[in-house]
Amino acid sequence: MSNTVCVLPCNGLDKCAGDISRRVALKLTESEGVELICPVLLNQNKTRYDKVLEDGSLSVIDGCNTRCASKLAGSLEIAIKEKVNVSEVAKAQNIKLGVDIRDDEETDALVQVLLEKMSISEEKQADSQFIETETVEYESFSHGKFIFKVPKNNYFFNENDCWVSISGDIARVGVTDYVQQNLSDILYVDPPEIGQEIEQFDELGSIESSKTVFEIISPVSGTVVAVNDKLQDAPELVNESPYEKGWLVELRLSNFEEDKELLLDFEAYFEFLKRKVAETNV
Amino acid sequence: MSDKRIGVISCSGEECVGGTISRLAVRKMMEELRPGIVSTLCLPLFIAGDGGEREFAEKYPTIAVDGCSKCCAKRAIEKYSSAVAGSIDVAEIIGQEAALGKPLSTRNLTEEHLAYVKEVADKTSEIFDAILVK
Repeated sequence: MSNTVCVLPCNGLDKCAGDISRRVALKLTESEGVELICPVLLNQNKTRYDKVLEDGSLSVIDGCNTRCASKLAGSLEIAIKEKVNVSEVAKAQNIKLGVDIRDDEETDALVQVLLEKMSISEEKQADSQFIETETVEYESFSHGKFIFKVPKNNYFFNENDCWVSISGDIARVGVTDYVQQNLSDILYVDPPEIGQEIEQFDELGSIESSKTVFEIISPVSGTVVAVNDKLQDAPELVNESPYEKGWLVELRLSNFEEDKELLLDFEAYFEFLKRKVAETNV
Repeated sequence: MSDKRIGVISCSGEECVGGTISRLAVRKMMEELRPGIVSTLCLPLFIAGDGGEREFAEKYPTIAVDGCSKCCAKRAIEKYSSAVAGSIDVAEIIGQEAALGKPLSTRNLTEEHLAYVKEVADKTSEIFDAILVK
């Protein structure tokens, strides 16, 4: 793979956020090794970009929460390595964008923040401190053509189908086999920020497939200390190995004994999942 | 004034400066030349299939403003909704060479580019007015 970064902005004409996505994309293309992808032409004639997408990685800039650019990448089954959402970043910066196109100091500052976000996403990553067990034993059950696996030891679950495994004061979090099968091909994992303080049942990033976006609900409280950076290049690891290689986030635990009271152990989750699968007729 | 609704979809071009001109021409039309009566449709949203854009273009006459002869906007309308009520190819108005230049940030446009924007906006308004009186 070359180092080419392909930038796909939403380019929406409807709102200021779309215009800002375009400004960020154009600014990025001033750097060497950055290729701009026109969302409309990509939809119309994907072969135009096949070579560069095959050799490079895709960064998406969505203007608003309709996430047209992400959806387009999803519908064409192109894995996203990195993405930002202009509206969400603007909200976090207390900037109201509205409909009219603006070119002023405030939007200049927003463009700058977005550019920084796109260039520093890999910083501060700590080495994993989680000690993996040699083998993970599984129990499985089938429903129709589907087989669902659940690990038996040292895994706890919430009812949102996220798991946590513990090593000392470090928790490793991921999604269950049930989630990955429901989502089908996972194209992008949006991790939380390193250092973020998380309460039990807070959102802990999201994962996105061509079908939908799944919010990761944290089974535990703590501080984010590592994210699985392998997923940036290979989000399909969540499909292939949801309980091991496809882990998502590690947190330093703040109060696991208390959190544990609201979690399910293997036996409880296995029964819960069997009922859920039967009821929803997966 | 007629209460007829007419949509305009601009190319969202990132392949060439013709796309930039098409975007600005449609904004100019919406904000200055025909304020309050132009329904602009967002092409990426139209392609994504959300927001009722496709349904609008099926129900109401819609004009495509394309940045170059690839005519992505026109082709998208015809693929997902129905025949366009009118179309503009910026390259035909300002010339292929001018239209196929590198895409530019709005603040880097020259006087010449801005004159192209006005020309395209005027032509689009002519088509718009002709549909309005039909």
